[in-house]
Amino acid sequence: MQKVLSNKLAIFLFVFPGILLFALTFLAPIVLSFYYSFTDTLGPGTKLTMIGFENYKQLLLHDSRFWRSLLNAVLLGLGFIILQHPVCILFAILLDRLGGKAEKIFRTIFFIPCVISVVVISRMWLNLMDPSFGMVNKLLDIVGLSSWKHAWLGDTSTALISLLFILIWSGFGWGLLFYYSGIKGIPEDLYEAAHLDGASGIKLHWKITVPLLSPVIAVQVTLAMITALKQMETVFLTTNGGPGDATQFLGVYLYNKAFSASQYGYANAIAILFIIVCLVATYLSNRFIPSENA
Amino acid sequence: MKTWNRSIIWIIFLVVALGQLFPLIWLIDFSFMKSSDFFTSAVLKWPSSPEWTNYINAWIDGKFPEYLFNSVLVSATTIILTVIFSLLLGYAFTRMQWKLRGLFFSIILLGIMIPIHATLIPNFAIFKALHLTDTYLGLIIPYTAVSVPLGTFILSGFLRSLPKEIEESAVIDGCSIYQIVFRIIMPLTMPALVTIAVTTFISCWNEFIMAATFLSKDSLKTLPFSVMNFAGQYSSDYGSQFAVMVLTSIPAIVIYALFNEQITKGITAGAVKG
Repeated sequence: MQKVLSNKLAIFLFVFPGILLFALTFLAPIVLSFYYSFTDTLGPGTKLTMIGFENYKQLLLHDSRFWRSLLNAVLLGLGFIILQHPVCILFAILLDRLGGKAEKIFRTIFFIPCVISVVVISRMWLNLMDPSFGMVNKLLDIVGLSSWKHAWLGDTSTALISLLFILIWSGFGWGLLFYYSGIKGIPEDLYEAAHLDGASGIKLHWKITVPLLSPVIAVQVTLAMITALKQMETVFLTTNGGPGDATQFLGVYLYNKAFSASQYGYANAIAILFIIVCLVATYLSNRFIPSENA
Repeated sequence: MKTWNRSIIWIIFLVVALGQLFPLIWLIDFSFMKSSDFFTSAVLKWPSSPEWTNYINAWIDGKFPEYLFNSVLVSATTIILTVIFSLLLGYAFTRMQWKLRGLFFSIILLGIMIPIHATLIPNFAIFKALHLTDTYLGLIIPYTAVSVPLGTFILSGFLRSLPKEIEESAVIDGCSIYQIVFRIIMPLTMPALVTIAVTTFISCWNEFIMAATFLSKDSLKTLPFSVMNFAGQYSSDYGSQFAVMVLTSIPAIVIYALFNEQITKGITAGAVKG
């Protein structure tokens, strides 16, 4: 057994292609990014001068857009954690209790938005929230809230919350499915025992389901924070960071710096800080969120 | 009391299900409208005569068949590669005995956290130097690389919950390591492999920003670009824009409908064991 499992050639054949792929798409670009982040180059292959930590200094000390991007990510992440996840947990519990054909049908419906491409979702919501013919404003007219009518994504005060709404709409099914599968893993006899002890309803779930779900919750909260930090496509395709910097995110910011503003060195400095922020965020949430399997 | 509770659950579920589906129903409804009909005050409207020309525009000018072919080719190759790499890496990291496995496992898992948007800019330069931009491989390689870390994570978790006895008896029967992995482990880890295939399908079928960065040749573009092309070319023809959005969503929804049970089971198995 030992001999078969320490077959050097097999280990090499199993691991090398994967590591090579990883090195090509993750490590090499990071090294290159790190190098470019100390230069003032306009694009790869153009003339460059080494400027030391200038880009980083500028970013951390004078770039309010960078900090705004981080703040937006934190707000979005808190939005996910406070608004989306409790509802997902509640729905997962209710869905599990529903049983039968209805359980399956609702589960299917809730997941449909998850299989639709981000391009369609973004363009669709851009139209839904359109001030002149969008459905959202028409619905407000119908329920008599015409005064609430709004250019939802075009107004600095509502752009971020509208974006959060779009992302919750499209991501709800994923969250629900993860909690739902967590609940399916809780053995039924625990509930029966609790019933015998007189627990029921909300109390039963608060005392049993939620604590037993805590490993799933820990992973999901970490993922929610990372998803918020990494937010890019939906923003890029709807508001492109605007209006002003109301929906600015690091991914969008560095993409525009590199490809539209031609500040390639600067964009790479953002990329390096972006990676560091993501790793630190993962580390912190793994550290401070109690999880039984950690 | 019980039935009363039940009806409340039903009402809440119906409201949310309607909320999830209504935007899509609206999209389908208005994809049969003339652009002038968009400025009606009705939320939904029965089209007086369905505008099939919207769909003809979407099919032909949206280059639907060509892009569909590209999407299928890129996604299928990516899924196959991701499943194989995740199986091999996962097995080597959890079962095989070697010195640096802990280190390499952590490095691969970093791939889940590292934002692809941060590596996008230098990657563009690297791919250009390697002549990978504007090729199918230029999409398949990064898609696979992005999917493998999560796949390895799911598979390792699943493998740890499998007893080792089966492999031990296989070794006694004289199986080689390759036979163990492909004849024994592969069928046993099928639920996890299905999860990996499904999550990979959903992410790379719908992926946009890497494709937008690495491709400029029209003949290689994937389905999301039908929508993007239309947003520019037919910017005032809302009906055709909506038709192309409906059309490009159909394949993923059909796949979801076909594999619905496996998708849920796969994610359930992967999430619980992982």
